[in-house]
Amino acid sequence: MDLLKDYLFTLIVFLIPIMYSIQPLLLPKISTVKTSNSKDILRRKKIVLYRQIKELEMEYDIGNLDKEDFINRRSELKTEVSEIITELKKK
Amino acid sequence: MTPIAGSVALNLAFGCSILSIITLFFYNRTADHRLFLTGQRLGLAVSFFVFIATFVLSYQLLISNFDIDYVARYTSFETPTIYKISALWAGQSGSLLFWLFILSIFNTITIIQNQSKHHTLMPWVIITMSVTQGFFLILTNFITNPFEPTQTDFIVENGNGLNPLLQNVTMAIHPPMLYLGYVGFTVPFAFAFSALVNKDTGVLWIRSIRRWTLVTWLFLSIGIILGGWWAYQELGWGGYWAWDPVENASFMPWLTATAFLHSIIIQEKKDMLRIWNMVLIILTFSLCIFGTFLTRSGVMSSVHSFTESSLGPVFLIFVFIILICSFGLMYFRIEDLRSPRKIESVTSRESGFLFNNLIFVVICFAVFWGTLFPVISEAITGNKISVGPPFFNQINIPIGLALLALTGIGPLLAWKGTSNQKLIQKFTFPTLLFLLSAVAFTFFKMTGYVVISFSLCVFVFAAIFSEFLKGIQARTSKFGESTLLAFYKMIHKNRSRYGGYIVHLGIVLMFIGFTGHAFDKEKEFGIKVGEFEKVANYNFQLTRMFEEERPNHYAWISDLRVTDNNGNFITNLRPEKRVYFHRNPDVNKRQPHSELDIFSTLNKDIYSIFSSVSNDNNTAFIKIMVNPLVKWVWIGGYLLAFGTVIALWPRKD
Repeated sequence: MDLLKDYLFTLIVFLIPIMYSIQPLLLPKISTVKTSNSKDILRRKKIVLYRQIKELEMEYDIGNLDKEDFINRRSELKTEVSEIITELKKK
Repeated sequence: MTPIAGSVALNLAFGCSILSIITLFFYNRTADHRLFLTGQRLGLAVSFFVFIATFVLSYQLLISNFDIDYVARYTSFETPTIYKISALWAGQSGSLLFWLFILSIFNTITIIQNQSKHHTLMPWVIITMSVTQGFFLILTNFITNPFEPTQTDFIVENGNGLNPLLQNVTMAIHPPMLYLGYVGFTVPFAFAFSALVNKDTGVLWIRSIRRWTLVTWLFLSIGIILGGWWAYQELGWGGYWAWDPVENASFMPWLTATAFLHSIIIQEKKDMLRIWNMVLIILTFSLCIFGTFLTRSGVMSSVHSFTESSLGPVFLIFVFIILICSFGLMYFRIEDLRSPRKIESVTSRESGFLFNNLIFVVICFAVFWGTLFPVISEAITGNKISVGPPFFNQINIPIGLALLALTGIGPLLAWKGTSNQKLIQKFTFPTLLFLLSAVAFTFFKMTGYVVISFSLCVFVFAAIFSEFLKGIQARTSKFGESTLLAFYKMIHKNRSRYGGYIVHLGIVLMFIGFTGHAFDKEKEFGIKVGEFEKVANYNFQLTRMFEEERPNHYAWISDLRVTDNNGNFITNLRPEKRVYFHRNPDVNKRQPHSELDIFSTLNKDIYSIFSSVSNDNNTAFIKIMVNPLVKWVWIGGYLLAFGTVIALWPRKD
């Protein structure tokens, strides 16, 4: 009896993940899956760019960048950030 | 749970891995998201079944079920509980299951973490990870199954027990750490491969895996350092690194991974070195698999050869498949991989990173060649020519010192290029200290590499110190903060940069420890109770020698009183000579083992080994080694781990 219980338990433990795995195939066709919306992606990009600007300023402050390079790269990054902010405002 | 459940779980895991690969492959063709969800869930199911199999084997080891061959081979009733658990990775089939177990943890984390992220990359990431899982499932299902029953026609009353060398707490932690390192590189490799397939070779995949790579690198580093610590504590030859093939196997991916960690900074900041980064991550992953092959195939004679097997060809085929598929795909994506920017000056930080990368790869090649040369020479000429520490030291010491120099030079260089005026301004302080220390060390009668190494340590320390100083000065003048607050905020706001510098300081301390090896002294002697022996300014008196029977071994114990030249008491040492399985009627199965005792200070270690005892039990044969500065290797290791944790610490956005 114990052996039967053991095997039954094992069978259930093994069957559940298999059922869970094939369950989506039983659904009607899905056109999209849950994914981060574009607003979240833009927000994340904005944070990364802000970080890069801060790092750039730090590099310049400790003398690892010359002035011309610093100004050019900061303005490039700022343009990118302002484009993202504009896009975020639209949404 | 019955042992058969473990076998069934492994079978199901293999089936699910194949199905996961197929469904995701068809998803890529049809874009039917049901297939994606199924493939993703099958990936999770593979991991679930592997967890069950690992749990079943661990349970069988704990309850000493000797009906399973693996349990009977690596444990006995006398094996302490902690070593019954560590027996999971002591043998071949168990360790392969353990590899799979860690990969399954990483697989689960990757899938759950990216459920709503990186939707274009994820199908191929899961496919790549499932292929790797599938490979290890082939091994554990069809070649070396850990659930194989014991092949006897009588009841096995007790098992063999664990090799005494493995009955050490460090050894219980070292392999899992190393495996976490080896296995972890599957994730960055999977993202890289997916980026190649999807022609998305910019910075996206780099950002997705930077943290993974750093965590994995940390585990691998800790694993290697713990391995050295174990060798030093257990093997009784007084060293921590012997260029043993298995040590080299873990060192090679560490070298390429370290190069990769540096060069992805360039890709992230400057969008350069795209091809180079792909090459490095492919090499790192291939070397991880190759390392497992070296450890598990028995092709190399090594202190780590606890197992012998015929797995070699299977591993080699898998390594070739990885290399051919990855480099083949790179060939077809070469136009996408070309970076839009080029390095502009030799005195730029970009160049510093590139030189550092080249040195890492050169060391890796030298180690690879030295490790494989005996096998290649045997295959071609029939004679096995052994390549020992002298070859590795001769090649790697000068290259390693160049790398140490670059550790200091790199941070002093500016991005894009450093003007002559800046070069003079930045290099004057560290170079002056380097020269002064070189003169001072020469004055103390040091020569050659020792002087260069110690002086370079001073140079790198000065360079890093000046970087910290500049950062603090920048904050105090810009924000008017106090020095202490500026120091804290500087690290807090730039964790990866200053965490990296702390790691470099750890490396400097380790180099100090390595260089101390040049001053090692040793003596081997026979001594009776009451007698004295002098070794390198220390006197050793054998005050007592006695025997003791313990649960799993028999021990001869010697008490050594250590005093200095003036008779001042330093310490008592108690090395032991042990015989494990001493009750086994078959004398050949009894295993002798020397348990060391080490007195460790910042300055030097006094290392004692009880080699043997005379037949009349009157004379103890003792080996004493005085090893200067060894402790700095371990302190450097702690600092390396601490710096990495700082670099990894998540920041609030």
